[in-house]
Amino acid sequence: MSATSAPRHVEAFAHAAGSVAAGVPGGATGWQGTLLDIHIAPAASYEMEALAEARCVAGRGIEGDRYFLGTGTYSPKPDTREVTLIEQEALDALARNDPPLQGGPIHLAPVDHRRNLTVRGVPLNHLVGRRFRVGEVILRGGRLNFPCKYLEELLGLPVYLPLYNRSGLNCGIERGGIIRPGDPIALLD
Amino acid sequence: MSARVVMKLTVVEAVATTPEVLRLTLVHPQRPELPAWEPGAHVDLRLPDGRTRQYSLCGDPADRGRYVLAIKREAAGRGGSLWTHDNLGPGAVAHVSHPRNNFGLAAGARRHVLIGGGIGVTPLAAMARHLTAGGADFILHLCARSAEHAPLLPELRALCGDRLRCWLSAEGARFDPTALGAPEDGVHVYACGPQRLTDAVQTTLERAGWPAEQVHVEHFAPIADENYKPEPFDALIASTGAVIHVPADVSLLDVLRRHGFAMPSSCEIGVCGSCECGYRDGTVIHRDVVLPVAKRQDRMMPCVSRARVSVTLEL
Repeated sequence: MSATSAPRHVEAFAHAAGSVAAGVPGGATGWQGTLLDIHIAPAASYEMEALAEARCVAGRGIEGDRYFLGTGTYSPKPDTREVTLIEQEALDALARNDPPLQGGPIHLAPVDHRRNLTVRGVPLNHLVGRRFRVGEVILRGGRLNFPCKYLEELLGLPVYLPLYNRSGLNCGIERGGIIRPGDPIALLD
Repeated sequence: MSARVVMKLTVVEAVATTPEVLRLTLVHPQRPELPAWEPGAHVDLRLPDGRTRQYSLCGDPADRGRYVLAIKREAAGRGGSLWTHDNLGPGAVAHVSHPRNNFGLAAGARRHVLIGGGIGVTPLAAMARHLTAGGADFILHLCARSAEHAPLLPELRALCGDRLRCWLSAEGARFDPTALGAPEDGVHVYACGPQRLTDAVQTTLERAGWPAEQVHVEHFAPIADENYKPEPFDALIASTGAVIHVPADVSLLDVLRRHGFAMPSSCEIGVCGSCECGYRDGTVIHRDVVLPVAKRQDRMMPCVSRARVSVTLEL
């Protein structure tokens, strides 16, 4: 499980999506969000572990996480995956079966969805190509996350379709530091 | 093999139940409850080198707080059991997947006949606990060399009473599957153990006219991926009849693309499920971790999976 070498990440604003979005104006402004939970996993398929604080390292990831260590399911394929975020509001929608895309409500706990940060009040789909602050850390939105069948198989839950277009955001770390649940999240620039 | 969440569990007890069999009790370091499971289920135990071994859960399915495994030391095996015996003492960390069940009890059966050979008794022990708790009708045949070598014997005696029949070869007693007689409605037979035992049970019952749905057998096959060497094969395209050769060092997905098929893909390492493709008429070597077992008979992931000799693709 130890890292053999530093993983290769695509810098967020160099990503095919982020590089285009950075030059396009628009997106929600004036919002103020909160970091609810931090989760990491030591390697592909391993259960996520909740952290009371985490160290973010620029260009690398969250210390101890599989995409920091290069042991993630998708680590062999370079991409923007230093930190992944998902909206609590999307999880709430799944829990009320809204829209009714599957058999019934799906309760996806923060320990289950396999994104690192669960956030509230943050319009993640508007943040590709944008810089924003989580506590003292600065993140860059690189691309929209999208659900994969692997998660569905791993959880044994039909989450693929219900997560489509609200699966979260993959980010790079511009400025590292310590983050904790409760940290405020706000747009920069 | 398909994807399952892996947990780092703590060994709280490691006791020898026979000279060769270690009984491990595992708990979650943070949570009071482990994922629920049904009798017959197994978990994957991960070894430090990343290989996995399957072991049946042999404790009480109603006890959500702990998993119990019984692992036989196989000196001539592939090394997994030796590592386990030497390293998983109290306080050690065991990397264990969520349980999965390919050997479940038949719903609606009125009587269950459980046949275990040696360490193969482990899934049947969980079944016996569940059936005892529910007041169900069952009998457990335990085949072993001697009482000393019969895994979990004291606890199975206490649990099953006269519903346990021991067949100890050192005492000249051998289980004879012909004694199961003619098929009966609502009676289900479950066998787990060395292949000569499970083969004998299956062959005998088939000859006696038992429907296959009433006979359940568990095998733990080696992981297909170990020491896997890709070999060339041919892919026949169902819609056109074209035959495309896939060399040993190129993926089926790449070959299809070179021939003009616009195949979607994302991870190309067998985990995301994007390139899923239908097939028929061929033996596919499934090497992905995403396709559920139930779909593997006619679907495959061409980014990592291959075929033996030839396969017909639904393209």
